[in-house]
Amino acid sequence: MLEVSGLTVDYILDQGNVRAVDDVSFTVGRGEFLGIVGESGCGKSTLLFAAAQLLAPPATVAAGTVTFDGTNLVGLTDDQLCAMRWRDMSVVMQSAMNALNPVTSIGAQFKDAMRAHGKFTSEEIAARSAEVLKMVGIDPVHLRSYPHQLSGGMRQRSMIAMAMLFTPDLIIMDEPTSALDVVAQRSLMVQIKELQLEFGFAVIFVTHDMSLISHFSDRLMVMYAGQVAEIGATKKIFDRPLHPYTQGLLEAFPSIRGPRVPLKGIPGNPPDLSRVPAGCRFRPRCPYAIEKCAVIAPDLYPHDGTLVRCLRREDGSLAS
Amino acid sequence: MTDDSPRPQLLRADHLTRHFKIGGALSRRTLHAVDDVSFAIGEREIVALAGESGSGKSTIARMLARVYKPTSGEVFFEGKPLSSMTSRQGRLRYSALVPMVFQDPFSSINPVFRVQHGVLRCLKLHRPSLSAAQRLEEAARVFEVVGLNPNMLQRFPYELSGGQRQRVGFAQALAMRPKLILADEPVSMLDVSIRIGLLNLMAKLRDEEGVSILYITHDIASARYVADRLIVMYAGQIAETGPIEDVLTHPRHPYTQLLLSAVPDPRAPLSVAAETDRGEPPRVIDPTPGCRFRWRCPLAIDTCAQVTPELAELRPAHEAACHVAQTSSEEVKAFT
Repeated sequence: MLEVSGLTVDYILDQGNVRAVDDVSFTVGRGEFLGIVGESGCGKSTLLFAAAQLLAPPATVAAGTVTFDGTNLVGLTDDQLCAMRWRDMSVVMQSAMNALNPVTSIGAQFKDAMRAHGKFTSEEIAARSAEVLKMVGIDPVHLRSYPHQLSGGMRQRSMIAMAMLFTPDLIIMDEPTSALDVVAQRSLMVQIKELQLEFGFAVIFVTHDMSLISHFSDRLMVMYAGQVAEIGATKKIFDRPLHPYTQGLLEAFPSIRGPRVPLKGIPGNPPDLSRVPAGCRFRPRCPYAIEKCAVIAPDLYPHDGTLVRCLRREDGSLAS
Repeated sequence: MTDDSPRPQLLRADHLTRHFKIGGALSRRTLHAVDDVSFAIGEREIVALAGESGSGKSTIARMLARVYKPTSGEVFFEGKPLSSMTSRQGRLRYSALVPMVFQDPFSSINPVFRVQHGVLRCLKLHRPSLSAAQRLEEAARVFEVVGLNPNMLQRFPYELSGGQRQRVGFAQALAMRPKLILADEPVSMLDVSIRIGLLNLMAKLRDEEGVSILYITHDIASARYVADRLIVMYAGQIAETGPIEDVLTHPRHPYTQLLLSAVPDPRAPLSVAAETDRGEPPRVIDPTPGCRFRWRCPLAIDTCAQVTPELAELRPAHEAACHVAQTSSEEVKAFT
């Protein structure tokens, strides 16, 4: 349904171009849940914005296509995009406090979205608004509430309700749970999954917390320094991570069960995207790096159904 | 990593309470941010203070740092009550011994000075006997302790990554030769791959520098990784407290059980209990007696609506404030 192919996004700055997203390709099928994980600055939010064609200068799509239901979104005019937004795909932003207008009620914002994308009577709008709020477990009386009167979890839920006004085929979520507590986080995730199973929309879910989506996503894409490091079935990646970065990420989580073991995390910091190292971008932090990693920039290699950007997986010299 | 022998007491909070007036000038409503909280922190001990946002964790830290005055109750440091520390000298000495490390490493360091500025200022203010040369030497030493190259002293904050900046925060605290560091969510703004390094640093400060740390967090897994004891807060009160392993393996308060069931763990099967919980923590405004968790609690009985539960020892050194857990002989599970 959504096919992103060779997508490359540059930030055009005075000091030179910064390539935030480098040749990223992936597909999302109908009703699929794709998780995208990576550290801050790895380009995951830029990628989302590019996929939804929400980029603003200085960011520009330098190459690649985003095909949604057969239409290439790259190069469409604002009017053409406007017809698709909310109806066919919607975006839930990271911070609901900033994404909702603080000076109008939730109901008024729902009305705005519906008026902008279709012709509806006031009754229809009221009925539909109440319906979607109920779906996410909020009492429809809150249509008259202002964002500050709702808790963080309720604000985030009403954003999701808004995204579902037209029952779109795809909902893109950019860290919707990062401002919430663990309990609220878990209940929101469960709710998203329930709604997805009920209405069959596809979800692209971006997060930096890998453990959060382990139970919810069908496929997982790990990004590092603007590139895809590994992409494959979630279960496979969690059972047997192939890229040293994915391994490091998984080992960086202390667990609340099992023995208490000292963890190391990943030494060093992600590279500055305006000065990426030659060869493999993860090499300076990689415990398995060998000489050729500094010279050859690795491609994505298929390995047991997963694609992984690691030279030592390609030549098979790295045992699991 | 930990042993259960009791450590000499360093700080004790006694029936600590902090209320805030809310609403207009004529409003009589009060928000009970922290209500009747008592706990102690020993020497060379990391105590984790966990709970949802709004549960009063940061208010406690601010009372310990003397930012807020308690509405009632008292904090004793090395046996002396904080309210008796009135001289400037006494207060300076206390803030040197009990410094704070903040959540946001991007806004807690002055961006217009080199990072050495904060460290040197702490030294000048709190250890006036040092000469300028000694201050530089000491700054280099604390930078090495927190795992930063001493030549980074000359850098500006924007040149450092989030993890490095948070290490600068710990270096500043360490420069004052503290006994207890109040760390308010020190790793929550950092990337997952960098967090572990800072948690390891906290453990190192305890083991090698003998510093105690009050580690405020909502991440139970990271608390388990470094802390010796755990205090779980709910709506301004302590729900459960005890040695961390014991609390995590035998959680007695239903809220602790809910919290543990919600921790994402790829290695564990998905627990379903959390699905039934759509509750929100209450804002505690003019509360009536009774357990504050009762609206979300599947085990609540009539007593819970009438009597506020007190902490009672249910296992060695492990206390929970729950009527049901206190009256039943075996462990009751509300959430698994």
